[in-house]
Amino acid sequence: MTREYDHLFKLLIIGDSGVGKSSLLLRFADNTFTGNYITTIGVDFKIRTLEVDGERVKLQIWDTAGQERFRTITSTYYRGTHGVIVVYDVTNGESFANVKRWLHEIEQNCEVVNRILVGNKNDCPDRKVVLYEDAKRFADQMNIKLFETSAKDNINVEEMFTVMTKMVLQTKKEQRDRQTATSDPVRLHNTKKGKGGKQKCC
Amino acid sequence: MELTPHVQEKLHAGHKLTAVVEAGLVQDFIKNTRVVALIEVASTHVKQGGEQALLIFQTARVPVHSAIDLSIEQVIAVDTNLKCEIDTSSLDVDTDVLVNITSGKVRLLFEMPFSQRTNAFVSEILRAAEVVSKRRGPPPEFAWLQPYQKSSTSSQDPASPGSAPTTADTLDGLGGDAVSLGDVSVDICQNLSSTYPDPANCNTENSSVHTENERSPDLGVNRHSIATGLSPTPIAARESHIRYQMAMREDAYTDIQEFTVFVGTWNVNGRSPTVGLAEWLAVDAEPPDVYAIGFQELDLNTEAFLFNNSPKEQEWLNAVLNGIHPKTKYRKVRLVRLVGMMLIVLVQEKHLAYVRNCAIDTVGTGIMNKMGNKGAVSVRLDLHNTSICFVNAHLAAHQEELERRNEDHDCIFQRTCFHLNITSNSPPKTIKDHEHIYFLGDMNYRINPCDMNIREVASSGEFKLLLQHEQLTQQKNAKRIFHKFKEGNILFKPTFKYDVDSDEWDSSEKARQPAWCDRILWYGDSITQLEYRSHPQLQISDHKPVSAIFMAGIKVVDTRRYRRIYEEVMKKLDKLENEFLPQVTIDTTEIILEPVKFYQSQTKYLTIANTGQVPVQFEFIKKLNDVTYCKPWLSIRPYSNFITPGEKCDVSLEVLVDKQTAAQLNSGVDQLYDILVLHLEGGKDLFITITGDYERSCFGSSINALVHMNKPFRDVPVAKLIDLESKQPKELSEMPYAVPKELWYLVDHLHSHGLQVKGLFTHPGLQKEIFEIRTCLDEGVEHQVLPGSVHSVAEALLLFIEALPEPVIPYSLYQAALDATPNFSLCKEVINKLPDYHRNVFEYLMAFLKELLNHAEDNTLDANTLAHVFGSVLIRESSAVAGSSDRRNQNQAIERKKQTFVHHFLMND
Repeated sequence: MTREYDHLFKLLIIGDSGVGKSSLLLRFADNTFTGNYITTIGVDFKIRTLEVDGERVKLQIWDTAGQERFRTITSTYYRGTHGVIVVYDVTNGESFANVKRWLHEIEQNCEVVNRILVGNKNDCPDRKVVLYEDAKRFADQMNIKLFETSAKDNINVEEMFTVMTKMVLQTKKEQRDRQTATSDPVRLHNTKKGKGGKQKCC
Repeated sequence: MELTPHVQEKLHAGHKLTAVVEAGLVQDFIKNTRVVALIEVASTHVKQGGEQALLIFQTARVPVHSAIDLSIEQVIAVDTNLKCEIDTSSLDVDTDVLVNITSGKVRLLFEMPFSQRTNAFVSEILRAAEVVSKRRGPPPEFAWLQPYQKSSTSSQDPASPGSAPTTADTLDGLGGDAVSLGDVSVDICQNLSSTYPDPANCNTENSSVHTENERSPDLGVNRHSIATGLSPTPIAARESHIRYQMAMREDAYTDIQEFTVFVGTWNVNGRSPTVGLAEWLAVDAEPPDVYAIGFQELDLNTEAFLFNNSPKEQEWLNAVLNGIHPKTKYRKVRLVRLVGMMLIVLVQEKHLAYVRNCAIDTVGTGIMNKMGNKGAVSVRLDLHNTSICFVNAHLAAHQEELERRNEDHDCIFQRTCFHLNITSNSPPKTIKDHEHIYFLGDMNYRINPCDMNIREVASSGEFKLLLQHEQLTQQKNAKRIFHKFKEGNILFKPTFKYDVDSDEWDSSEKARQPAWCDRILWYGDSITQLEYRSHPQLQISDHKPVSAIFMAGIKVVDTRRYRRIYEEVMKKLDKLENEFLPQVTIDTTEIILEPVKFYQSQTKYLTIANTGQVPVQFEFIKKLNDVTYCKPWLSIRPYSNFITPGEKCDVSLEVLVDKQTAAQLNSGVDQLYDILVLHLEGGKDLFITITGDYERSCFGSSINALVHMNKPFRDVPVAKLIDLESKQPKELSEMPYAVPKELWYLVDHLHSHGLQVKGLFTHPGLQKEIFEIRTCLDEGVEHQVLPGSVHSVAEALLLFIEALPEPVIPYSLYQAALDATPNFSLCKEVINKLPDYHRNVFEYLMAFLKELLNHAEDNTLDANTLAHVFGSVLIRESSAVAGSSDRRNQNQAIERKKQTFVHHFLMND
């Protein structure tokens, strides 16, 4: 039986308009970067398959429009998300100030979800206004991991997504362990049999 | 679609089409349509009939309309090298079947639909391959295929007669090697960016398609394919594809490492190992990495023959284990025995972890062609990434049984079959499926009688003279046996037949002639023979043992490179999957409307172009908790459609603010602003913003608000309008009108100009004039004159009443009004309950209608008609309640009640 992947996870990228959400996705999924700025008007996704700890994880990564006027619509895309990546622009203080609002957005729309904070455009020290120390202090306060990335120079992008994937994988395992501990083992067995062969499938 | 006649047309005289099928040729990550045909030559054209071949055609069009669409891309002879396997690991009900066709270095992977036709086609190929494998005599030459090879796109230099028609250079055209990995993706990108020529152009380009193909057969994706609708589609079974891709790139992540392989063979004549075997197995300085040791006539007892167990097995195994090279440790991989034939394969302990997929098989070719006194025992294994097969054979004996030996040889190759893993579905492997093959044993080929004294020459060491008469060498040179196998130069004395415990030739009555019965041959690249020798010191048998040392290049996986390439393959597949997601471009994401006026429609267009590689199904979808996918003042046509790649779809967006939607816009509850969500099935969503300004109008304003406006509607500030429409307005006029002045203008106009007009309220007005009347009312009526005909004014009046957000009979009294219809006094009670201004309007209108009826002789109106027309606009049901099914059924009865209600006031008052 064909086993295309062990896990399928949905990730969501949110943050102010122009912070580089689409660029991060493009870098990660297609390993490309374009300097031309095209505002995302809608929600788009790409897939990428990773092998983490010997397990094949297929990621479906959703890139959302950051513009304020779309905020209510984009909030509907939070449903079923395993991990949310909140992006700000290290050269734009306002985008960092708005992170709080985005985190609030997650709280409003998701139940259990892994979050990661990403300061993108970390490739030009002269223009950097959000200092790592400040961002780190805030991230620690919010109990969220911080990454500084550059989609343009391909810095830390792969690492950030890999860590996100590991976090989601970890959460899933914990949930499964809890389930195994509490639920009727016979029923659990049956539900797994139903999919025939794809035992690890989610 | 019937392919047969078109393909038949491409064939030369005397060649017959056996079967044909359309299939997707998987090239790197894409599949392209091909037509695969199995053809056969009539027996009159070649010495021996039944020669068959596969022709692979490129197609200029799908489906194929004529023979012109087909061009030969590849010719593959059905010879003993041809293999056709169904990749059963990917068998799933809804996926296609992957069919692997290999011949030498040509490897083609086809995706075929899971169908009867595919099944039949593969069966035909297998049958053809079986016919070839069973034929006797020299291998077929396939000269009849030459005309096809000349026209094929991928063979640059026509194959020389006699050589196999499939040459390695065809790989570049089809297989896709490591180098082409990057190229293909570039091609895809170019295809994407080269936009889509209009269909008219495509057709004219069709004629040049062939020539372009012929020039560049190595294009991963044919440039024309998208334009002509032959767009490649992503392959279905990703897992099989990864395996295939990794196999194709093996060179990139494996290194060749030299392993020494010791191969030994000895016919022990039923003797027990009374002597040590080190003189045979451990004469070299360094220990070999692999041992393959074969015995024949291990046990000559009938018991071994019948019950297939023998104490000799353990005896000789022990002797081998004691006799092998002492410098290092070995582990047994497999031992296989059939009666007297036994094969032991050992590897150095350190290699054991890299030995996988071991399997054995035995073939008896003895009595009744199945008993185990003759035949072969075989072991196959994968050492690192190289597949190796060892065959230990014992062929028919006696000088004159040459043909029998040849047949035994054929039989062993045909019948040996390894089942790798019973649980997995992978197809069984034959001897020829291995990269390295070592064939050892007592072949029993003799030296033909000649004018030499064989014994003398054999003893003298002039082996070259004797070998000219040696049967195995002769048969091999005639290509009858051991096709493509190699044997080293024989520099040792014949190993048969000696008196036991001596080096003397057979002194028995039979006085058998010496012969090189015991031989070792090999097949495979990167194998070098270092030693080929006999070991006459071992004298317990009438045969001398033989051994050979090989230096074999084994493909060892470099895990780091393997991972990198594996990841690369995954990434490419991901990238492809992303590229095959539905893609569209739209000409605008922001639609800005011209100022929108009441009841005046405006249409904007949106062009959706499919710029992706797959057909797109789009649909405007609901967002959040909305009931519909757009606001009620907007209608989208089509709101859902299907677009093929390269095509466009124009969508019309019509904005119309009518009596139902005007009030909401007037009161500021709604705005001319909406975000549409354009959803691509299986893909992304696009947001389209539509904005515009609504020019507020007295139409759609409420009675209560209008009576408080002393100025023309247009001169009232928006804030004041919104305030007046609110539930508790802050600023009311000190001198409100009894009825809205706009209503008065309309009625007054009709009163002045329409009392005698025939067909008033039944004759339709003109839309354009109604708009002018509306503008006039909004901007202020000068000299109490309205533009347009009385009919337009009459219709404007009805529209005005109907557009009132709260009907003249308010929603709250709707049911009471209907219930009151049997009785006029009840109806009057309802009217008494109306809010003041509503009652004013009602009474004003009734007075006007009665006046109209006074002129019935001229205007031909009657009370029923008027009651019907005005009943339906004065008494309206709230839209929240209307529409439920049981309501609709009662519609006629309700309409009659509304009519009756008004009728009372026209006739009874």
